[in-house]
Amino acid sequence: MNEIREVADLFDNILKDKKLEKYTYVLVQSEKQELNVENGEFKLMRTGYDYYTSLTAFINNKMGSASGNDLSKEALVKLAEDGIGAAESSPEDPCHDIAPDQGKEVFRQGIYEPDMDKFLDRIQECLDSIKKEFPKVKVMAAVGSYDKSHWISRNTNGTEFEDFSGRYNFYIDISASEDGINTGISGASVTVDNLDKPFMELGNIRKSLEAISNSIHTKSIDGKFEGTVILTPGAASQFLGMLIYHYMSDMVIIDGTSRWLDKVGEQVASEKLTVSKKPFDERIVLGERGTQDGFRTEDVTLIEKGVLKTHSLSLYAANKTGRPVVKNTGWSLIVDPGEKSFDEIIKSVDKGLIMGNFSGGEPGANGEFSGVAKNSFFVENGEIKYALSETMVNGNLGEIVKNIREISKDVICDGSSVIPYIAVDGVVISGK
Amino acid sequence: MLKDIYEVEKALFEDGVQTVLRAQENRYRSVDILKGNLVSNSRRETRGISARVGKDGLYGFASIAECSDEAAKMVLKAAADNVKLLTRHRGNTGIILPPSYGTGRIPTNGDIVDAEQKRIIDTCRKIDDYIAQKYPDLDSREVYYSEDSQDRIIYSSDAYDGHLVTPRCYIYIIMSLKTKDGTPVELFKALGGFGSFEDNFSDIEQYYPEFEKLYKKVKDKAEGVYAEAGYKTVVLGGMMGGMLAHEAVGHTVEADLVMGGSVAGPSLGKRVASDLVNLVDFAHTFDGNPAPLPVYLDDEGTKAADAVLIKDGILTGYMNNRETAEKFGMKPTGNARGWSFADEPLIRMRNTCVLPGKNTVEELIESVDDGYYLIDSGNGQADLTGEFMFGVTCGYEIKNGKLGRALLDTTVSGVAFEMLKTVDMLSNEVEWYSSGFCGKKQQMSVGMGGPHMRCKIMIGGR
Repeated sequence: MNEIREVADLFDNILKDKKLEKYTYVLVQSEKQELNVENGEFKLMRTGYDYYTSLTAFINNKMGSASGNDLSKEALVKLAEDGIGAAESSPEDPCHDIAPDQGKEVFRQGIYEPDMDKFLDRIQECLDSIKKEFPKVKVMAAVGSYDKSHWISRNTNGTEFEDFSGRYNFYIDISASEDGINTGISGASVTVDNLDKPFMELGNIRKSLEAISNSIHTKSIDGKFEGTVILTPGAASQFLGMLIYHYMSDMVIIDGTSRWLDKVGEQVASEKLTVSKKPFDERIVLGERGTQDGFRTEDVTLIEKGVLKTHSLSLYAANKTGRPVVKNTGWSLIVDPGEKSFDEIIKSVDKGLIMGNFSGGEPGANGEFSGVAKNSFFVENGEIKYALSETMVNGNLGEIVKNIREISKDVICDGSSVIPYIAVDGVVISGK
Repeated sequence: MLKDIYEVEKALFEDGVQTVLRAQENRYRSVDILKGNLVSNSRRETRGISARVGKDGLYGFASIAECSDEAAKMVLKAAADNVKLLTRHRGNTGIILPPSYGTGRIPTNGDIVDAEQKRIIDTCRKIDDYIAQKYPDLDSREVYYSEDSQDRIIYSSDAYDGHLVTPRCYIYIIMSLKTKDGTPVELFKALGGFGSFEDNFSDIEQYYPEFEKLYKKVKDKAEGVYAEAGYKTVVLGGMMGGMLAHEAVGHTVEADLVMGGSVAGPSLGKRVASDLVNLVDFAHTFDGNPAPLPVYLDDEGTKAADAVLIKDGILTGYMNNRETAEKFGMKPTGNARGWSFADEPLIRMRNTCVLPGKNTVEELIESVDDGYYLIDSGNGQADLTGEFMFGVTCGYEIKNGKLGRALLDTTVSGVAFEMLKTVDMLSNEVEWYSSGFCGKKQQMSVGMGGPHMRCKIMIGGR
C-alpha cells in the first residue's frame, strides 16, 4: 500500500495541468476481510479491495466535488474534469473554503497487520459462549470484519495528512425464544485494535445478551403516564445524536431553525450533562485525525455542565453564519459519568422504564420525538418488573436534557463512544 | 454503460459449485440548495467486479475496484479460496446446492443518460427561485437533487445472465414554517422516480401544483396540534400503506429473518390479516405498467417474478434467495440483491404493495367519527415480532367524517399481524413511493405502495 503517494503526486500534476489553483483531495486504499455468521454458524467469507478518490475544486469562490474509486490516470483525469466542471457550474459563494496550512503529518492507528486466525477464533469463542451461557439466544447474524486503510489528503494551502489504520469490528444481531415465543431483534457491536480480550467481555455484548434473554415474555403498559426513562448507553447515543443534528449542526444553524440558535454560553441542559467528541481519548479506536475541511482534528466539548459551549459547525457553516468552526467532524462521543451506579438509579425510580433502543420517527425541527420503546423494561417502585412490548414514548429533545435525574458512573465503551446510563424525567409513556 | 467483456470468464467457473460474476457501476449525483445557498454539489461513481462461489451451503465472496479481465480472474480465485477456507473450518453442513430454475439471458432494459452538473444545478436553482418568490413567508426551504443509478452485468454458472440498469433520480422539496409560538415545523415532497434526469425533470413546471399542495400542508401544520395518544381508528394514506407493506410485513417475510425467528415462521398458511388484504412484492410490472423500480434479474442470476405474500388475508409465501427457497420448498423469485459491486446479495424487497380495494378515499374518511387521517411518513422500522413504528410527518384529525386540524409530527405503532386484521376498508387506487432506502447491512433502493386503508393503530402524542 505504498503506491498511493505516487498516485497523489500524479494527481497533483494532473491538477496543475488543468490549471486548478485551489483544491483539496483525498485518496484512499482500503481492504476488508469479513466473516459472516448466519444462525450461529459461519456462512460467508468476504474479501474486498477498494479505492476512494475525492476532489473538491474551488474556482472564483465557486465549489464543486467529484469522487470515484479508480486510481488509474484516466480516471484521475476524469475526476479532475468532473470536479472542475461541477465548480464552474456552481454559483459564487465565498464561504466555501479550506483550512489554512496545517503542515504535514503521518498518522498511524490501530493494527495494520491483522491476525485473522485469532480473529476467527475469538468469534467462534464468542458464539460458543453464547450457546453455553445464553441457551435461549439465537445469533441470527454476526459479522466480524477487519478493515485496513491507507489514505493521503492534500490541499493547496500546503496541508498533507497521511494515515495508516486498521481495526477489528464485531457485531451480533440476536433474538431469544422459549416455548414457541420469540423476542424481537437486539444487537451489540464493538470496535477494537487488539484481540486480547474475549468479545463477550467487551462493550455491551454481555449486557445485550442478558437483556434479550429476559425479554421473551412481555407486557404492554396500561394507559398513559409521565415518568422516568433510563436511557441505556445505546439509547443515549441515539438521543444525543438527534440532539446534535437538530440543535447544533450545519443545516439547522444555517437555516436558523435550531432551538439553540442563540444559546451558546447559556444553560441549555442539566448541569449533570457534559458531552464531548474526543477522538484522542485512549478508549476510542481510530478516532478522526483530519477533518473534512482539512483541519487537524481536535477534541471538543459541546455541552459542559449543561452549558452549550459551541455549535458543531463545519468551516462552510462557520463562514456562512459568522460563528466559530469546530475542528472535529467525527463522532467519538464521550459523556462524563455521574456518581450513582446503574442499580442505584433504578432504585430511585418510582415509575418508568429502562429503554434499550428507540424506534421512532425522526424528530421535527422543534425536537419533538415520538416512538416505540424497544428492548425495554418497566420499572416501578425501584424494581424492574417486566419486559415491555407495544409501549410508546413521547417527549422533546431540548426538554429531556434539562430534566436529567441522574447519570450513572457505569459507562459502556464500544471503541467508538464512551457513554453512561442517563435517566430523564418528564417523558410521556403510553401503552395500548 | 459498462463494457461487457466477461462472458469469456464463464470458462473459468469451477464444476460442482455455483458461481456468479458481477460487474457493477453505481453513479451518484447530488445538489443541495438550502435557503438559496448551494451547500452540496457533487458527482460520484464507484465501479468494480465481484464473484460469489457457493458450495455445500457455504459462500466465498470477493470484490475489487477494477473492471477488467484480470480483475475477474482475481475475484473468482479469491472467492473460491474463501469458500474453501470456510469448508475447512466448518466441515460438512449437509446443505446441497439449490436446483437450477432455468438458464438464458435477460434482455437489457435500457440505458442511463447522464446529465451535466450545470443542468442539474440550474434546474434546482430555478425551482428554488420559484419557491422563494411564490412563498416568501416560508421560514426555510431546501431543494435537494439526488441520483443513484446502477448498471450491472451478471454471469452465472447455472442461472440467467444479463446486463440491466436501474436509473433513478429525485428532487426533494423541503418547506419550513414556524408555529405561533416560534416552533419550526417542516414537510417534504420527493419528485421524480425511475429514469434519468431528463426523463423526470425536463419540464419542472409540471411539479408546480405539487409545490402548492406542499405549501398548503405546511401552512396547516404550522397551525397543527398534537395527536391524542392511544389506540385509534385511522385512515392511512397510500404512503403509509406502502410503509405498512414494507416495514410491518415485508421484513418479517424475508426468509433469512424467518429463519432468525420472525413471527412469519409459524404463521405460514394462517390468517394474518382481514380477508380484504392482499400483499405482493412485484418484480417489474404492476397492473400492466412498469413497477416503480423494476427488477428483471437478481444478483444470484434468478429471473425475477412476483412474490405473493398475503392472499385474501392468508400468509402464502416468503421472499427468498436460492438456498432459502429450497429450504422452505418454494421457488425463488429474484429477491437476492446487493447494493454495490462490493456487496454480497441479501434477501431484499423490490416493489412491495398492498393491493387496492373498492372504496373511494372520500368514503373512507366519511366513515370515521373520531380518528385521524395519516398521510405521509418520514421513516419506519419493524421487528421480528412484527412490531413496527412509522414516523408520521403529515396528518389531520377526522371528526364526524370530515377533516379537522392538521397534526404535528407523531409516530404510529402496532403489531403487523394484529393490526392487519383490523383493516376493514381499502380505497380503489394505489399510490407508489420509490425514493427511499431500506437498510439491512447494506442500503437498497426499494419501491413501496398501497391504497388508503381504514384500520386501528396505536398513535403517539402528548
